[in-house]
Amino acid sequence: MAAVATRKCNGVDCPNDAGTLQCPTCLKLGTDSFFCSQDCFKRSWSEHKNIHKKSNFLTNLFPPKVVSEPDPATGHFNPFPSFQYSGALRPVYPLSPKRTVPQSIPHPDYAKGGIPISEQKLWGQHKIKILNKEEQEGMRVVCRLAREVLDIAARALKPGVTTDYIDEVVHKACVERDSYPSPLNYMHFPKSVCTSVNETICHGIPDQRPLEDGDIVNIDVTLYHKGFHGDINETYYVGDKALANPEAVRVVETARECLEKSIELVKPGMLFRDPGNVIEKHAKSRDCSVVKTYCGHGINQLFHCAPNVPHYAKNKAVGTAKPGMCFTIEPMINIGTHRDRTWPDDWTSTTADGSLSAQFEHTMLVTEDGVEVLTARLPDSPGGPVPMPSTENGN
Amino acid sequence: MASAIDDEDMPPELVDVTTMSAAPDSVKEEESTPRVPITLVTGYLGAGKTTLLNYILTEKHGKKIAVIMNEFGDSSDIEKPLTVNEGGQEVTEWMEVGNGCICCSVKDTGVMALESLMERKGTFDYILLETTGLADPGNIAPVFWMDDGLGSSIYLDGIVTLVDAKNILRLLDEPAPEEKADAHNEEAHEHGWGPVLSMAHMQISHADVIIVNKADLVTPEQMDAVRDRVSAINSVAKIHVTDHSRTPQIEGVVLDLHAYDHLDDLDFSKKGHSHIDPAISTIAVTIPPVSADQIPRVDSWLQSVLWESTLPQPRSGPRDGHPVQFEIHRLKGILRLQDGSCKIIQAVRDVFEIRDSEARKDDDKPSQDQCKIVLIGRGLGPVVDPWKQSLEAFIGR
Repeated sequence: MAAVATRKCNGVDCPNDAGTLQCPTCLKLGTDSFFCSQDCFKRSWSEHKNIHKKSNFLTNLFPPKVVSEPDPATGHFNPFPSFQYSGALRPVYPLSPKRTVPQSIPHPDYAKGGIPISEQKLWGQHKIKILNKEEQEGMRVVCRLAREVLDIAARALKPGVTTDYIDEVVHKACVERDSYPSPLNYMHFPKSVCTSVNETICHGIPDQRPLEDGDIVNIDVTLYHKGFHGDINETYYVGDKALANPEAVRVVETARECLEKSIELVKPGMLFRDPGNVIEKHAKSRDCSVVKTYCGHGINQLFHCAPNVPHYAKNKAVGTAKPGMCFTIEPMINIGTHRDRTWPDDWTSTTADGSLSAQFEHTMLVTEDGVEVLTARLPDSPGGPVPMPSTENGN
Repeated sequence: MASAIDDEDMPPELVDVTTMSAAPDSVKEEESTPRVPITLVTGYLGAGKTTLLNYILTEKHGKKIAVIMNEFGDSSDIEKPLTVNEGGQEVTEWMEVGNGCICCSVKDTGVMALESLMERKGTFDYILLETTGLADPGNIAPVFWMDDGLGSSIYLDGIVTLVDAKNILRLLDEPAPEEKADAHNEEAHEHGWGPVLSMAHMQISHADVIIVNKADLVTPEQMDAVRDRVSAINSVAKIHVTDHSRTPQIEGVVLDLHAYDHLDDLDFSKKGHSHIDPAISTIAVTIPPVSADQIPRVDSWLQSVLWESTLPQPRSGPRDGHPVQFEIHRLKGILRLQDGSCKIIQAVRDVFEIRDSEARKDDDKPSQDQCKIVLIGRGLGPVVDPWKQSLEAFIGR
């Protein structure tokens, strides 16, 4: 940590210089506030603590005070300079201004206030909705559109483009398809797509960081179209360096296979606790680990609902697959530890050890005798499997 | 709630940046740190929850106990107060619950807040969570009954319900509108079955321990009536009678229940009037030991009963009194295998698991040669026979 310069105490009406004592909450949030003493801190607490709440909601309006000045050439900065990042990736702010969706396109309930009220009513319930034929057709349409948008975004990937540019591409492609990009303002998520680079497990916020040759990046697209959500993600290699990195190929291809193998189970009668067993077994066979914090979910008129589909073995998930149910499976696979750590932006989830992480997701419909993968790849979809590194093939 | 925070608010300790480690916290993979038990304390306003918690906090027990009072499920606050008692000293800590859920996360934000607090401030010996008077414990318990794979630093120890001896019968029989378990009554009303359920029913049916409080305010006859009624609803919970929430001992009564990871026995005295409560009852199904091949069948039977609320009908045999509309609140079971090993079943509402049991100490009681499944819920019917026949037919006997 850099040398500590003389600074004023942040206490209310305090004339003293601050020492090296810092508010732990501010520190965690990546902002700085120093005090001359615990007494002064205590005296100022009722006012000071408001800063913590503000920084949660208004980070975009009032960027937190940074230790490192913004880059004079670009104006870019790391909003949480004192956060102990687990890997090399850093957020590159400022985020671009919030994108808007024409009012003619139906918005989900959280588009305005950020809170998915219709989902919250059902939290904790295990009753799984069975879609009728019309609703199934609604899901078919939105999932096909989601696939198109993901493919468009994937074609825009190359070293040098920013994840914010990918966000712009996704946003426009959604609007062109009369669709609202579901992530936008969901629980106040600031962007229209999740872009998760390298050690990011999921929920990465598109920012000003240009993709580099050698990165792997997951693009997680969800559209809301005519009352239904369709959810899909894939992980892509950026540039030839990524394809030449055996670890990158191992984690990405393992994640892809984990999803494929778990989908093979899906048919009426499958227990929602079962995919996790298959996923964990396969991941272990490739010396990879399975993220446990996030799971697949029901999806229909709601973005997230019952069932819960954990990706780890030996879970107590409730429910049996029946024709007409729609849900996602979206295993997140890591090279190292399965443990995750969330950035102070309250979204970006990275591996706790900074190792690479990859994810694939489909939305699927249980049919009378099997499964229909609603977000299936098209003949011309970019990406797709590559051979595992030769050391693995030998086994 | 917000004003209460301001009244008792305490700032955290400042940290000295010069003593901070610059290296990231080392990641301890699969460490086996002891997990901290959390006990839910439920009961109506006035039943004595706060008195009990204060009693526990002020008793000299040499334990570091964290108490979370009320409103835990209320997601509108970013920070929640938590009182920690150690050596007679009380400190208020603040948990940051974050500004919302993380979508499709399997852990509740409250659980994550507790974990993060313990990471920063050191662990506790126990956590007690006082729910609001009108909370349905069946909605809260699954939040803390997490899969082992999640590696949480806390685990659900059990549910303790306080009932007020003077008021409980009135609450069960004539609940005021706000005292009814509305979500349950709505469904029942649709189907046109059953008497009205009060939240007091829910709190008793889900309990592992029931403390009948305010014994000094009722006659011995009234106390007998209360005991009978409470044990008719939930025959497996341990019942303690007390006044002023003074429990004779804390460990084993309120703490260290191990209600979800351990089963001592499921023996309870059947007094032969198990349906004296019109809504909720306990029934016990006893069958001879099963083979290992039959465990998946037991699992499927539980899926049908707990997930689909459907009791599989035997192909033959009497169908009179076959329960068709029921809901299970709590289920516990011991499965004895023909090879002598043993598995235990635990369920709260529709979440269940079958896990291996540790070796038994005394196997001399004849009753312990049997498999036993105890169900607590609504609409179970007057007799156990349909349940027993269904299970036996389903597992292929």
